[in-house]
Amino acid sequence: MEKFSFKDVLILFAGTIITIGIAWVLLTVTGFVPREIGKLFFEGAVVGQRNILNTLNIATPYILTSIATVVSFRVGMFNIGINGSMYIGGLYAAWAGYKFTSLGHIPHVSLCIAIAIITGSLWMLLPALLKVYAGVSEIISTIILNFVAVLFVSYMANGPFRADPIAPATPRILETAELKQYFPNSQFNSGFFIAVIIAFLTYFILKKTTFGYELRSGGDGLVGFYPSRYSSYLGIPSDRSAITGMLISGGLGGLAGGIEILGNARYFYQELLFNQGFDGILIAIVGKLEPIGGLIASLFWSALRNGGLFVDYKTEVSREIVVILLSILIFFVSAQKLVSSLERFKFVRKLDAFFTRKIK
Amino acid sequence: MEWLEIFDISLFRSLIRSATPIALIGFGAAMCSASGVLNIGLEGKMLNAAFVGIAASYYSGSALTGFIWGVSAGVLTAILFGFLSFNLGADEVLVGLAINIFSIAGTRYLLETLFKRRGFFSDPSIQGIDPITFDFLVDTRFEKIFSGYTPSIYLVFFLAIVLYLVYYKTRLGTAIRATGENPEAAEDAGINTLRMKWLTVVFSGVLAGIGGTFLSLENMTLFTEGMSAGKGYIGLVASSFGNNTPLGTFGASLFFGLGDAIGIRLQGVYELDSRLILMVPYALTVVVLILIGIRQRIRVRPVPIPEQ
Repeated sequence: MEKFSFKDVLILFAGTIITIGIAWVLLTVTGFVPREIGKLFFEGAVVGQRNILNTLNIATPYILTSIATVVSFRVGMFNIGINGSMYIGGLYAAWAGYKFTSLGHIPHVSLCIAIAIITGSLWMLLPALLKVYAGVSEIISTIILNFVAVLFVSYMANGPFRADPIAPATPRILETAELKQYFPNSQFNSGFFIAVIIAFLTYFILKKTTFGYELRSGGDGLVGFYPSRYSSYLGIPSDRSAITGMLISGGLGGLAGGIEILGNARYFYQELLFNQGFDGILIAIVGKLEPIGGLIASLFWSALRNGGLFVDYKTEVSREIVVILLSILIFFVSAQKLVSSLERFKFVRKLDAFFTRKIK
Repeated sequence: MEWLEIFDISLFRSLIRSATPIALIGFGAAMCSASGVLNIGLEGKMLNAAFVGIAASYYSGSALTGFIWGVSAGVLTAILFGFLSFNLGADEVLVGLAINIFSIAGTRYLLETLFKRRGFFSDPSIQGIDPITFDFLVDTRFEKIFSGYTPSIYLVFFLAIVLYLVYYKTRLGTAIRATGENPEAAEDAGINTLRMKWLTVVFSGVLAGIGGTFLSLENMTLFTEGMSAGKGYIGLVASSFGNNTPLGTFGASLFFGLGDAIGIRLQGVYELDSRLILMVPYALTVVVLILIGIRQRIRVRPVPIPEQ
């Protein structure tokens, strides 16, 4: 994928204007006053301590899953199974959270997080190996593993890990395993900081280290999104970097699930529903497959989501309107030909060149 | 061997009912994959069709109207998919995912806005599609096996045969397969590959539409949020299980249906957890994919060039 350019910003801007227009029409048709809804929406997203904290809290799993997507796409693996890793990581984080007694706070939390990362990344080992050694499409195999993950965790919550005789759920995690919630009026917890650190760390590793270059070289030679053998011509084992990237991606997915459990839910139950893994893919695309782009896009995305929740709570407008608008925005952003057709205009070419020079 | 008792006629009927939507989606996915399009958006197409079908049936009071509107919704979503990925150059997988997320949210939004409901919608004025009974089978031993299904179920059997014939015995089928296997060669042979892709995508939209209305108007007459419940993805998996051939996909769908039917039957009856049984089809799909991969690897293994 190309770097962020003026064209992309322009298309993002135009897409946003158009989606706001669609929202305006939708709200007017259903008999609401768009201005008031918009005001409420803004308030819910970023006004006041509580709303801001909730937005950041919602952003945590999105940041991690979008970074997971970035890593896997950059090595040339189209990982759709991040959601499955989230489930597995979350389940085992909960297990470690109640199983290991008599540990201090820091060791226990670190252990739970490590277990979430390891189980999440092991979950991605099979599709990675299948892709590299048997040529099985990772898209299909990760979709399959998503189903298996849901069945598996619901089996575990019902069977081996079940504690509550009435509801299928694990025991509550011990206090030493909890990620700290700092404010009484929000579930915002220290997991957010982990996610932000991970985002910057990924940026650093991908951009500034040899390891990161080896990883990227597998995916940067992609034609469209389909892997080429570009990196093996450079003498870099693209197969190995594909497997490594997939494992990192799964690990980040597991971490996202683990943080959700340790920071928010505090126990694993059968009805627990993760879908941030799928949204993370779209967020990563909006962020142009850059870690920092993913971070910013996740914050944007969760602000909109939280605004939507607030509007839903205050008025009759359904919260789903946000997701509809976001997916329409995705349609615009992903339309490559629409973006490149902007080059027809002279001022776009000029500004493009201007900004590219400046960044260099 | 008391667990053998569950293999009776009602298990068979439940199997067929579970397999039908998977097979419908699977045929569409198989045709798309054969022409080189990985169509992940089938889930969303199905969900849209299910919702529009039930809404149209509710407002018009006619099952046929509901069916037609539902299928149109599936086709329209397919056209959106095709337009974005073929005309605007968006990545197919991304568009598919975006369409799925869009459809889940969109149907939920309409459910809350139009009907003021959350979770599910059901109303006596919704007309479902009635099952077909064959008079000449009444009171014979075949009545319970062949009679009394809804039209889509018969359609699936019909499609399995027709698609097999189209796929292997006609120019069109060859053109579709050529488009997927070697687009450049297909273009050189005078095949309009873009048209082939459009054809399969729209066709998969029709099938997803029928699958969606099957869920909301035939199998039950109600709509629940996210009622496609991953069937779009399972159809995709079934088509890879069947190596993207019509009969293979059909067999795989029956297999997934069997897993489903046994899972439903075993719920809370036996010690064995039904979730473990539900995992079996997926595990087998992985095995089949590995076998296909190995076979391809053996086939394309480079032959050493003899030294002069």
